[in-house]
Amino acid sequence: MEELKLVGETIQYIVIRLGQEQYGIDIKYIDNIVRMQHVTRVPKMPAYLKGVINLRGEVIPIMSIKLKMGLEEDEATKATRIIIVKLEQAGTIGMIVDEVKEVVTLDLAEQVEKLAYDKEEKNNFVQSVGKYEGGLISLLDLNAVVQEK
Amino acid sequence: MDVSQYLEIFLDETTEHLQNLNTQILDLEQEPENMDTINEIFRSAHSLKGMAGTMGYKRMQNLTHDMENVFSEVRNNNIKVKANLIDILFQCLDALEEYTTNIRESGDEGTNENEPLIKMLNDILNGKDGGDAAEAAPDLKATEAAPAEDNNGGKKWLDIKLDGTDQMVISEAQKQGKKVYGVTVKIQETCLLKAARAFLVFKAVEELGEIIVSNPSAQDIEDEHFELDFSLIIITEADMAKVTAAISNVSEIESVLADNIDLSAMQLDEDSKTVVHTEETTTAEKSAEATTAVAAAPQASAGAVAEKKPAANKPAAGKPVVNRTVRVDIEKLDVLMNLVSELIIAKNSLVAASAASAQQTGVATPSGVNEQIEYLESVTTNLHESVMKVRMVPIESVVNKFPRMIRDLSKKLDKKMELYMSGEETELDRTVVDEIGDPLMHLLRNSADHGLESAEVRAQRGKPAVGTIRLDAYQDGNNVVIEVSDDGNGIDTEAVKNKAIDRGAITPEQAANMSEKEIIDLLFLPSFSTAKQVTDVSGRGVGLDVVKSKIEALSGEVEVRSKYGQGSTWIIRLPLTLAIIQALMVVVGGEKYAISLGSIQTIEDIAPSEIKLVQNKEVIHLRGNVIPIVRLDKELDVVSTRGEDENMTVIIAKKGDKTAGLVVDELLGQQEIVIKSMGKYIDNKCKLISGATILGDGEVALILDANTLI
Repeated sequence: MEELKLVGETIQYIVIRLGQEQYGIDIKYIDNIVRMQHVTRVPKMPAYLKGVINLRGEVIPIMSIKLKMGLEEDEATKATRIIIVKLEQAGTIGMIVDEVKEVVTLDLAEQVEKLAYDKEEKNNFVQSVGKYEGGLISLLDLNAVVQEK
Repeated sequence: MDVSQYLEIFLDETTEHLQNLNTQILDLEQEPENMDTINEIFRSAHSLKGMAGTMGYKRMQNLTHDMENVFSEVRNNNIKVKANLIDILFQCLDALEEYTTNIRESGDEGTNENEPLIKMLNDILNGKDGGDAAEAAPDLKATEAAPAEDNNGGKKWLDIKLDGTDQMVISEAQKQGKKVYGVTVKIQETCLLKAARAFLVFKAVEELGEIIVSNPSAQDIEDEHFELDFSLIIITEADMAKVTAAISNVSEIESVLADNIDLSAMQLDEDSKTVVHTEETTTAEKSAEATTAVAAAPQASAGAVAEKKPAANKPAAGKPVVNRTVRVDIEKLDVLMNLVSELIIAKNSLVAASAASAQQTGVATPSGVNEQIEYLESVTTNLHESVMKVRMVPIESVVNKFPRMIRDLSKKLDKKMELYMSGEETELDRTVVDEIGDPLMHLLRNSADHGLESAEVRAQRGKPAVGTIRLDAYQDGNNVVIEVSDDGNGIDTEAVKNKAIDRGAITPEQAANMSEKEIIDLLFLPSFSTAKQVTDVSGRGVGLDVVKSKIEALSGEVEVRSKYGQGSTWIIRLPLTLAIIQALMVVVGGEKYAISLGSIQTIEDIAPSEIKLVQNKEVIHLRGNVIPIVRLDKELDVVSTRGEDENMTVIIAKKGDKTAGLVVDELLGQQEIVIKSMGKYIDNKCKLISGATILGDGEVALILDANTLI
């Protein structure tokens, strides 16, 4: 995240649901959102790496954010989606989420609160919190999510 | 003048010429008197000079110019080829290579004038006659064309072959009082766009009259397939001065020669027997043949020389080989390859869809559809093979530099050695060939430096004084095998063991239990070198692990066989194709996997009772061989769907001369599959899986790397 906070500078987030909690993912990372589909298991992988799917002729790895965060196993429902994100270091990855809700625009100065954020800590994937319509949205640090520790 | 668009061609051709020079000079060292070699070297040096000059690389031009001078004297028998001359020439080649590298990297040749080299070259020249070195080199073209010019005085139109129609047109025109001229136009050597200048000449002439014949043909001129001059026969009403003036008005024209055409003095077509062959014709033909013979080497520059020849009687012989090839950017081939991959996936989907619909409706697919699908299958398979072949290049381009390297090493290390190579024509994918050079170089250096023993040790062991290093390449099924072997010391496993213990890589207890093979594998650990001394040839321990990782990145593998005191052999095994393979589809625990057909030997049906335990490992006896069994369901963490007492389907996979039996639940059949990467995040995390592929129904199946299981 940029350190510079100018008044009026905004970022768009896609709001997703994982279990009961709402999270925001910076829209700039998002390539695509597809429905849940059959995932081909890859052996000898950590549990959160669910396997691979065929996305229009490309083979894309799929991970479960929930398992990575230490939450319960995903349960595929009608609302379950795979968010395809493109990251500089890890490449293209699909992430399973329970639901994709909406796109919100947050003002960096007014609505985003940085958290005391310890990069070294193991399960810390939330870098800041957004205030939106009276509720709070945890904003995910995707690079931390995909990082293996 | 912007020449950047020619830069790539320039670099490619320069590399080719340098390689050619290297090879030829090596030959020359063996046979200092061989005129063919000397001529070939001279031509290459001349072409290099011309190319460097055109591109504006002055320093490179100067150096090649001086080299050319020396060769011209060698050619004229004024200088004898001696060892020190060869050494200097090799240094020159290194300097030229440095220029080329600089140009490739920065577009600039650098500032190294290489004065000492130029001085040495000039010393050699002056040592002979003290004459002006620069003047000593007669222009290649002049020399080549000299015999013809004795007769024609540069009036090359006299070499144009006229067929019956042309003669009729000419005599008709002469009857009508029109003038028929032969014109030879010479373009300045510095001219960059020869074809454009020629076009302007054509245009100027056409304003005044009609061009009936041109030599080379208009098409060749347009494609710039000519040296510096071309000849025309024109019919016009204007007088000669006007024609020459019009042509001279075009810039960058060096000279224009024109004269009236006398039909009797022209070379005539064989079947137009009505006209008498003059003495002149036959001599011109003879010289043409002689020069063509000299230039017969199938090499770009030689071909070009041959082309400007008045090769009246045998145009086919003068046709440069290069005309039949096209240079294509490798990226375009990659795109083509990707498209072929997609076509194959689409074809597989079609096959799957047709089978699925037949199953759903219960009605068999009409045989016409099946036939067409089969036809499509054979077309896509052939298409894939053709595209693969286009991408294949002989490893020659890489291994050609090795004889020179070994020669240098031999001098540097003061060991006598000889490199024998075979199978240089073995073809590999272009991307693989580009990458394979460095690992091979490492291995050869390794063999030369600490493979071969010093002369005293060799004498003690009763080996011939000259060490032998071999590089053999050959195709083995779906693999290409490259072996580097030497008759030197072999690997001293004790030394390796001690070294590994010193470095803390293994404990002494571990060492005691290690097999010979495991010890040899230690060599591939990073920063491991057994050379007692670090030389600049090898011994810094950056060699073998790099070799291994590079080969593995190309989906290949390295193996070593060594016998202490007798030598060692390094075997590199590379897959022929990288993108599309024939695979056997299998099911293990309900999951589909693909296994490359290349690694499968046979498929066996084995009763559970046939499995024996040896050292607590499962094996089977098969036709006299004991083969270890690998249960894929255990390896892949799935539960087999087969019952305990059912017969097992075992795939016998081989890797080199080792085999293993892979137990699977079900066979689905053979399929052509496109290898896809599994994405950065997951690739190489599982050793067992070498990639993924997309099946006809859109599902992803993983490709099992049988090699890791053996």
